[in-house]
Amino acid sequence: MAKESMMTGCRAAAEGAKAAEVEVICSYPIRPYTAIMMELAKMVANGELNAEFIHGEGEHAQVSVVLGASAAGARAYTGSSGVGVTYAMEVYSPMAGGRYPVQMSIADRTLDPPGDFGSEHTDAMSTRDQGWLLGWAATPQEVYDNTLMSYRIGEDHRVMLPQMVCQDGYFISHIPDKVTIGEVSQVKEFLPPYRPIHPLSLTNPVSHGPQIRPDQGAPMDAMRAQTFLAVPKVIEEATADFARIFGRKYDPFVEQYKLEDAEIAFFIMGAHSNTARTAVDKLRKEGVKAGMARLRWVRPWPTHQLAEALGHVKAVGVIETSTSYGSAMRGGNLIHELRASLYDLDDRPLVTSFMGGLGGETIWPADFDYMAGVLTKMVKEKRTDRYVYWLGM
Amino acid sequence: MAKALPGYGTIDVPKDRVVPFGAVTPAPVGTQPLFQTSNWRVVRPVRDDEKCTRCLQCYMACPDACWVYKAEGETLEWVGDFCKGCQVCIAQCPEEGALVAVPELDFEGGVVRLEKPF
Amino acid sequence: MAKVHEITVWARGVLMDKEGRDVINLFAKAAQMDGKHAQAFDNYEDLPDRVLVTVRKYVRLSDEEITHKYVYTNDKPEVVVICEATIVKGIDILRGMEPGGTLIINTNRSIDDMLKFIPNAGLLGTVATVDADAITGVRTVDFSGSEGGVDASGIGKGIAAPIVGAIAKVTGLIKKEHLAKVVSDVSGMERGYNEVKIKHFNASAVPELVGGAAGSKLKK
Repeated sequence: MAKESMMTGCRAAAEGAKAAEVEVICSYPIRPYTAIMMELAKMVANGELNAEFIHGEGEHAQVSVVLGASAAGARAYTGSSGVGVTYAMEVYSPMAGGRYPVQMSIADRTLDPPGDFGSEHTDAMSTRDQGWLLGWAATPQEVYDNTLMSYRIGEDHRVMLPQMVCQDGYFISHIPDKVTIGEVSQVKEFLPPYRPIHPLSLTNPVSHGPQIRPDQGAPMDAMRAQTFLAVPKVIEEATADFARIFGRKYDPFVEQYKLEDAEIAFFIMGAHSNTARTAVDKLRKEGVKAGMARLRWVRPWPTHQLAEALGHVKAVGVIETSTSYGSAMRGGNLIHELRASLYDLDDRPLVTSFMGGLGGETIWPADFDYMAGVLTKMVKEKRTDRYVYWLGM
Repeated sequence: MAKALPGYGTIDVPKDRVVPFGAVTPAPVGTQPLFQTSNWRVVRPVRDDEKCTRCLQCYMACPDACWVYKAEGETLEWVGDFCKGCQVCIAQCPEEGALVAVPELDFEGGVVRLEKPF
Repeated sequence: MAKVHEITVWARGVLMDKEGRDVINLFAKAAQMDGKHAQAFDNYEDLPDRVLVTVRKYVRLSDEEITHKYVYTNDKPEVVVICEATIVKGIDILRGMEPGGTLIINTNRSIDDMLKFIPNAGLLGTVATVDADAITGVRTVDFSGSEGGVDASGIGKGIAAPIVGAIAKVTGLIKKEHLAKVVSDVSGMERGYNEVKIKHFNASAVPELVGGAAGSKLKK
């Protein structure tokens, strides 16, 4: 029977990897994701999971090891947090370009400084140009679900891309919540075994990662971009199939909460969306037509889906828990792509951003009241005063 | 086609939240108000001036530089701001009873009452 | 939304990290047996693997589902539990507390000795001390728990048992009978329940007490 228990996001990720029957795991300790590896180590030691558990000498080694494992045809799994994610930066593009559908489970952590165990999304967000699939979960249940869905999407032959399954460190990774683990039969139906296209082989020798000429660069890049045109359909199919088999329905790209008749909306990603939902309920009771759009996938960015979901809203507040210093809006990174998504609409919403949750601090319900006040004022005055507001500053 | 474009706004960090430039702080030599680890300790090292032979083992052993040797007066001063009560100085002291651990709660002073743990 | 009771437990890193965690886990389990909703977690940002650093553990209790699950800190603690007495000198433990709150300290010193170090003690409705170290003499150190490892040595084998017994007696938010089912050291818990010394201030703000009389109750 599918059983429900209380577990942290890290444990949920480990359960997801176990359900997916990963074959090679490469670990290196860095908190908060490290609890995932501790759980997996226990499972491997107890014989619950038959996987090769390798301890890398650093995050760069971790990602390199799983690249090799995937090239040899194994379903590989690794993870990191904070500066660990940026330490492995070199290997991300080869991984995506070589089309190895490895999964990396990221429990966000602030980058140094301060490098504290609280969550900021900048660590994984800074890899968004490398060609991986990149998505965020908002509850431990969603971490488990995303682990399975990402393998299914990433290993689909129309995609064959590595995936980063991200969760907020501490909030999701270390605070327990209800999670229902799937049954073996459900997982088997949803997630077929990994079938590599050209694995390293003694009988059919191939070369992985050879030098290619500069004039082959542009076509190679274009073909990788072509893949991303095909990914959204695979995401939709996988999410629908997941709902059919496991009974948990997710909007494939954007979770829409009370948006249909909303005048102001919060655009948010990750754990703080849970507080946002309660804030929206409270604002609605006070007569404010508020709504929330929660982004699930950063890569591929759901341009059209966001335009459709938020196009009728009058003012959107992007809540950023990541920084992009010197960027166009001088704040975070989500606002740029959101504004771009809404740019071509005839009657586009006013968009501003709020820097909140930085340093891994909580975004309080009172902060949402403040943000709603700013957005309401923008609607009334029909103009965007500023691109970015730093909560508390 | 001049139109009032949105601005970047201002960022006013409240004075009590300002962080030193580049998070560079003065080294904790002597005293340094930004590093408060004195609330880690459960015991405090107390030096008996008569039994102390001024061998300076405690001065050298302290990982937080909490024993300061004053040449005039030939005395060792204990700086409580960083002392975490690790008792390495007590373990290193060769003289019986010259340096003992006393529960921190026996002392009225040394109250820091931080808002949040450091 | 039903009232959410916030209980903050202060402990010390590494040497008492497990004890602090045991207190909140026992509390949450006992509350759940009562049909209440409870949420218990460590404050991860306190970086608890530094020996002796002050760390916080949180537990929240409510009759209904707790909606603000991801507000990760107890900003208005109703009950503050201090597992290592020296912490009263090092931290403003009553920060955020509304008037009439409760303070429970593990110490063999008198309540007045402790209050000397707490200038904002006027907020308190109830102060209690329990000498957990004398009752069990054990502080279990098991580092694996904070990172999802198994608390293999059992829950409530050390000072957590008398402390959580004291909490049950002083606050009445959980029942001793439920605790007895989950704690490893049942006699320690019972002794904590019986031997806690309680002092009340401002009688009008005192929360309802459940259970028989024990210890001294002096109205100031």
